[in-house]
Amino acid sequence: MSSKTIIEAKNITKHFERKIALSSLSFTIHHGEIVALIGPSGAGKTTLLNTIAGLVPLESGELLIDQNPLPSYRGKLLAKKVGVIRQQFDLIGPLAVMHNVLAGRLAEWGLVKSLISLLVPQEKGLAMEALSRVGLADKSYESTANLSGGEQQRVAMARLLVQNPEIILADEPVASLDPARADDVLAMLVNLVSENRQTLITSLHSVEYARKYFTRIIGIKNGAIFFDLPTEQVTDDLLAELYLLKEKA
Amino acid sequence: MKNSAVLLPKRFILSVFLIAIFVWSLFSVHWNSDLLHTGGWPTMLQILKGVIRPDLTAEILALGLKAAWITLAYAVTGMSLAILYAFIVGILASGTLTSKTVSRLTSKIFFRGILGFTRAIHELIWAWLFVAAIGLSPYAAILALAIPYGGILGRIFADMLNDVPQEPIMALKAAGASKLQILIYGYLPLVWADMISYTMYRFECSIRSSAIMSFVGLGGLGYQIQLSLADLKYNQVWSYIYFLIVLVLLIDGWSNLVRRGLVERKRVKGISIGWLSTLLSVVLIIFSWVYVTEDVHFLELFSDKNIQYAQRFFGGMFGVGNPHPAFFDKENWSSALKLTIETLEMSIMAIGFSTIAAFITVLPAARNIANGDLTLTKRWYNWILFGVVRVLYIFSRSVPELVWAMMIIFLFKPGLLPGAIALALHNFGILGKLWAEVIEDMDSRPIRNLSSSGASRLQSFYYGILPRVLPRFLTYILYRWEVIMRTTIVVGFVGAGGLGMQFKLSMSYFQYTNLTLLLICYMVLVVIADFASESTRKAVK
Repeated sequence: MSSKTIIEAKNITKHFERKIALSSLSFTIHHGEIVALIGPSGAGKTTLLNTIAGLVPLESGELLIDQNPLPSYRGKLLAKKVGVIRQQFDLIGPLAVMHNVLAGRLAEWGLVKSLISLLVPQEKGLAMEALSRVGLADKSYESTANLSGGEQQRVAMARLLVQNPEIILADEPVASLDPARADDVLAMLVNLVSENRQTLITSLHSVEYARKYFTRIIGIKNGAIFFDLPTEQVTDDLLAELYLLKEKA
Repeated sequence: MKNSAVLLPKRFILSVFLIAIFVWSLFSVHWNSDLLHTGGWPTMLQILKGVIRPDLTAEILALGLKAAWITLAYAVTGMSLAILYAFIVGILASGTLTSKTVSRLTSKIFFRGILGFTRAIHELIWAWLFVAAIGLSPYAAILALAIPYGGILGRIFADMLNDVPQEPIMALKAAGASKLQILIYGYLPLVWADMISYTMYRFECSIRSSAIMSFVGLGGLGYQIQLSLADLKYNQVWSYIYFLIVLVLLIDGWSNLVRRGLVERKRVKGISIGWLSTLLSVVLIIFSWVYVTEDVHFLELFSDKNIQYAQRFFGGMFGVGNPHPAFFDKENWSSALKLTIETLEMSIMAIGFSTIAAFITVLPAARNIANGDLTLTKRWYNWILFGVVRVLYIFSRSVPELVWAMMIIFLFKPGLLPGAIALALHNFGILGKLWAEVIEDMDSRPIRNLSSSGASRLQSFYYGILPRVLPRFLTYILYRWEVIMRTTIVVGFVGAGGLGMQFKLSMSYFQYTNLTLLLICYMVLVVIADFASESTRKAVK
């Protein structure tokens, strides 16, 4: 890995009430890496992603995005660095697909332009290009709520394409899709990210997908890093131990 | 199972408690023949005759048509202003535009407080206050409608905005959208459809409110009804009531169409219902405003004379220059509190009567019972009963409480009972309609099972239908009670006792500080009713 470091976490810690969500995590992610986060439910995958996205404040430790501490990025600047995609609940159902995609430009637009865009879509070319890259060019004026789960997830990807952040955080992006759709969406996500030379961190509950699409896997257990290895070095034994229920003391 | 064992007694205790309160309220009336006017019955019969034989001469029809338009125009102008007010204050009260916890909380409390205050006072009281302050101007009626309706709408808008799912909002935030951008791209599109359907529902109510605005001296259907009643021309009274019913039904039909259009979200070929309705709304709003404010200039409202009047009136209410304001007087307080208790009793009697009437009639009024789907029993008379009850409901809910009160007062001597009956006459139709919809929406399989295992109609009602609809029924009873509480003061105006009657008397004697005192009592009552009903509704959920 000769490329530059884009995310650097130093002993980041987070509690919810008394429960430890993240306990002193440290890792480095380079530009262009495609990383899967796996681990049992409640291990802290989502908390970690939300922390990097700036949605959950840090308690202690340091998180550097592109050499600068995370809090130094504010709102619109952060949106240029980090973009988020989740399960399919990210979209505004009653709005047309077009507007949901163009919401990725809100960080760039002022209030007046965003208002006008709801009547006369602005920068339509950008949205259409993104939509055709995810294969939904023909659905641009449909109401988003009428789309299937897989299609909605592709709209969310089109929004990310328009937003064009350097880092993409995907939190269980295929959790509510059937296997065929899930494959489809993940393949497309990984593909788009490498085409755009972005960095991707995805939390997954499926080890199979992690191995299939990702080059590096971080296993998280009880808020700590259990292993952090290139995909080919992740053994079945390691995985079994990762998902093992709490040993009885 | 364990859960229901705990829940059932809770609901049971609540029901017993509510019945006990109702029985207590009945003791406030001295039940003897002294309640009725001598010769009240013949008058009542004459009034009832008008139902079958309304005056349909061309002259009356023309008058009715014009009055109906005035009523509609006031409703539309009032509502358009109310929507504006509700939209702005509702968004502010939802706290979606503020980010810091402290400022969010203060703006929530402050703006919710404003909404609460404006909706606590009935539109007719607002009208009366405005007319007393600025004289008989159309703006008095428009503002009187807009203020309480804006309060109701704004509160519901704020609630809707607060109930929006958080995931899409977080996603927009992560995409770098500002607060205002999140509002227009996230919150508003998510609640748009609900906002419109609720506004349409309220629009229907505003027609009735607009009709009774006439009673402070502004034209419209209520005014014509009042004139005809004064002239004892009962058949004309009913002609105007029929106009009102048709108007209410038309708006009801329109609002149903719009709501269905919003749910289905289908694009029909050509122009969709949504666009047609928007067009119609715009045309209605423009025409109404032009008509209503035709020869009145808005700025005239602020003429020196008007400002002086308003100052004198509101100053009077606050006791300016009055050495003995009523709200500092112990005796006044004790009499006001007595009236407050009476008003409370009247509201409880009213909701009790409505509940009984709705309970008796609700079964035949449900469509799935009329066609035999629910109970598997088909009787030839089912549809006839259905029709009769539904027509009864339409009459009941289309005629405002105040109009019912004006007719009832021919039969009863002034007091709490006629007020309660008038309120019940209006509310049992609403309650019945809401309940019938609950029955229509219920899952029919368990009931059919009961019927096929040999349960009679009444048996399947007690074992199958009642246990499952009771919580919803209770919710609606409490909700209507809240509304009745607000309206008690209005039926009092025509001599139905309680705070309202005293309010009118004080108004006529220019006892402005007494008005303030009565308003304070009234608002305390409304707030208590709101609180009690809301917490009980949460408890039975």
